[in-house]
Amino acid sequence: MDEFIPQFVGFARLVVLAIVPFVLASQGTMLGGRTGLFNVAQEGIMLLGASLGFLGAYLYGGLGYGVLLAVFSGAIAGLALAYFTTTLKMNQFVIGLAIFFFTMGLSTLFYKFVVGVTLQPPLIPTLQDLPIPVLSQIPVLGEIFFNQNSMVYFAILFSLFLYYLLYKTSFGLKLRAVGENPKAADSLGVNVDRMRYFTAIVGGMLMGLAGAYLPMVYTGTFTAGMVQGRGWIAIALTFFGGWSPGLILLGSLFFAGVEVLALRIQVGGFGIPYQFLLMLPYLATILTMIFAFKWIKAPAFLGQNYDREKRSLS
Amino acid sequence: MTKSIVLQMEGIRKVFGTVVALDDVNLQLNSKEIHGLLGGNGAGKTTLMNVLFGLYKPNAGKVELHGEKVEIRSPKDAINNEIGMVHQHFLQVDSYTVTENIVLGTELKSWPTLKLEVEADQIRALSEKFGLAVDPDTIMSDLPIGVRQKVEILKALYRGVEVLILDEPTTNLTPQEVDDLFESLRVMVDEGLSIVFITHKLREVMSVCDKITVLRDGQNVLTEDRENVTEKSLVKAMVGEGLNVEESVVFSSVVSGAETRWGASEFGEPVVKVEGLHAQNEDSIVVIKDCTFEVRQKEILGVAGVAGNGQQALAECLMGVCPIHQGSVIVDGMNVSETETRDLLEGGVAYIPQDRLLDGFLPTASVAHNLILGYQRNQAYSNKGFLDWKIIFQSARQQIDEYTIMTPSAGDVAANLSGGNIQRVMLARAFAHPSSFLIAHNPTRGLDIRSIDFVYKKLFERKEAGAATLLISEDLDELFRMCDRIATIYSGEIVGILEKGEFDKYEIGRMMSGVKAND
Ligand SMILES: Nc1ncnc2c1ncn2[C@@H]1O[C@H](COP(=O)(O)OP(=O)(O)OP(=O)(O)O)[C@@H](O)[C@H]1O
Ligand SMILES: [Mg+2]
Repeated sequence: MDEFIPQFVGFARLVVLAIVPFVLASQGTMLGGRTGLFNVAQEGIMLLGASLGFLGAYLYGGLGYGVLLAVFSGAIAGLALAYFTTTLKMNQFVIGLAIFFFTMGLSTLFYKFVVGVTLQPPLIPTLQDLPIPVLSQIPVLGEIFFNQNSMVYFAILFSLFLYYLLYKTSFGLKLRAVGENPKAADSLGVNVDRMRYFTAIVGGMLMGLAGAYLPMVYTGTFTAGMVQGRGWIAIALTFFGGWSPGLILLGSLFFAGVEVLALRIQVGGFGIPYQFLLMLPYLATILTMIFAFKWIKAPAFLGQNYDREKRSLS
Repeated sequence: MTKSIVLQMEGIRKVFGTVVALDDVNLQLNSKEIHGLLGGNGAGKTTLMNVLFGLYKPNAGKVELHGEKVEIRSPKDAINNEIGMVHQHFLQVDSYTVTENIVLGTELKSWPTLKLEVEADQIRALSEKFGLAVDPDTIMSDLPIGVRQKVEILKALYRGVEVLILDEPTTNLTPQEVDDLFESLRVMVDEGLSIVFITHKLREVMSVCDKITVLRDGQNVLTEDRENVTEKSLVKAMVGEGLNVEESVVFSSVVSGAETRWGASEFGEPVVKVEGLHAQNEDSIVVIKDCTFEVRQKEILGVAGVAGNGQQALAECLMGVCPIHQGSVIVDGMNVSETETRDLLEGGVAYIPQDRLLDGFLPTASVAHNLILGYQRNQAYSNKGFLDWKIIFQSARQQIDEYTIMTPSAGDVAANLSGGNIQRVMLARAFAHPSSFLIAHNPTRGLDIRSIDFVYKKLFERKEAGAATLLISEDLDELFRMCDRIATIYSGEIVGILEKGEFDKYEIGRMMSGVKAND
């Protein structure tokens, strides 16, 4: 028992630390989806965010610069998605995949361009923990939740903010209506296109930020494979969380938990093949999708473009 | 007294691809006027109003309000110009409450937060004033169709409108609700509104409109005061020379007129036997209670009732779509609970579902696809499991001709069809194959007179050929005209069955509200 509590606290703290990329990318996905815009470029946008986040910090000597660059690149990617789908009415999945490949390519390109090929990859200092006075002193919970870095706090607070925005404000009422029935929203004077641009851009920003978290907290460097499928998992998490900010926040604990667990087992060397452990998050994704699909309610017009003069009777 | 002109649309032209939906159309609306807009399916009524409401951008023409030219580029512009529209197909967010649906897009008292008590009270006051009873706090998807229609109207009124467009608002209403609506319209006019009212029902036009404009194939054919027209002259204007009014079933003057023309038939053997049928829906709510009836060859059995009293479930039970909890349903010797729906279809059961937008219609597929839906395994269309597209398109083109489905080609996306033309596709499909039992659920809803006549003749032809028919309808005139017997359904129970000759509007009306036949 004496052993268990500190072990559990240590584990739980790591899990909370690991929710950030999932939460941010997933809330970004949710936001777009709630207006009917289904972004599938998370993995690429996160990688670009990781690359630019690293480079910003490396070049200008401050994590803040990295964050700015990463968020900005995400905004551009979101803008591109909105432009091609909302203005040019092109297929959302095709454009999303194109943006995925494009941003993925860009991320290594930028890195090579700035850093070049080196034997010893350059490092940036990682983000410091920011214990919250008083709260961090609470036994158990204090260590798990209030002795984390600032991005953890941001991810949690922003999720709560999104919940409030979506369900407790008149803006949220309009936003959700666009994803549920864009024609109805349009016929009442809600600007469907503007709403989709807005959520695509903010969603992209969140994804870029999610990517920047990886070099800034985990590794201090950038590598081409560093997102490791977290972007795809974020899509699953969004479904799992029923496209609602609160549940996504809760659900992220599960996916982050699997990730940390896999790492633990790997380090502990329990004789389980390494590849199997890497599979775990995906396995969990598939399983949760099978069970979650029964109760998730995705926005009715998810993935569908809206054209005022086209009749669509669904 | 000269009335002031509120709205003037001039030279409106709208082209979709190769379809000229509107060709130099004019419309003038006077203040405090109810202006009937008539025309067959696909005549362009909805398109014209969508132009006015900023949903469609016209290729030519101008709109004037109170003599001043206005540019309406979006519904928002229309709303700002105090134009409101009730759309032919509801535009509602199902998961929102009534209040949320109504206030969406307006400025809220509680901005930026979402506290809707004030607005809910306003809506209550409005619904009181105009006699449109709804509870503002209900979730939209829980409401019956008739109430949803009222919400659409309240949506427009809430925004404060001067011009109100009603695109076929009565299609979804019971006779009683239609009367109520007309009273509400009168109140609105007294309040200073001007109304454009689209319908296919001439009786409604004659009873409520002050002025009437008829469109045909996207062109103006007539604009007259009500006093100067008759139902007959309106029909002539709507269909041109296409319909012989004397020969039509719709216009057979008395009930017996149709009967004598089509002959009282000798009924044959029972085709459908329903005994002690009980059914529940997904939420385990009883939707059908102890139903027992038969339908014989050459018989049309009508089912009357207020919408939402189990008609849908009854049809679905007979089609094997809805699980049967107790009792038995035998159709043409097949026990429905043990037979797959597709075998029923192949065994000669045809179904015209009521909700053409939800069941049995694929908006994104082509017209030809939709015409064979459910029959794709049929010998004629498929060859060892592969579809023979050449034959499918050939027969599709034939059906498009026969049923005068207005579409540029058989390969066109079905969603582009006008409301009435979608219904024709459903009919063409149901009538394309020989059937011993036909279920028709509101088969003429939203159809123009020529099409209604066509449907009636088809139903009679089938009957002559020996089919048993179950005609579920909310239109009592239709039932009286067509049926040999009428069963009235009330909350899933058959309250009484009347024979031809004892049909009585009020008697059935009483049963529709749950009073037993012998009470
Ligand atoms: N968005 C669209 N895209 C393509 N074609 C369209 C569109 N809207 C209307 N049409 C075509 O324009 C014509 C007029 O259609 P409209 O819906 O205005 O008819 P309507 O008079 O309202 O008929 P109904 O009584 O059946 O509702 C039809 O041929 C229809 O197929
Ligand atoms: Mg129409």
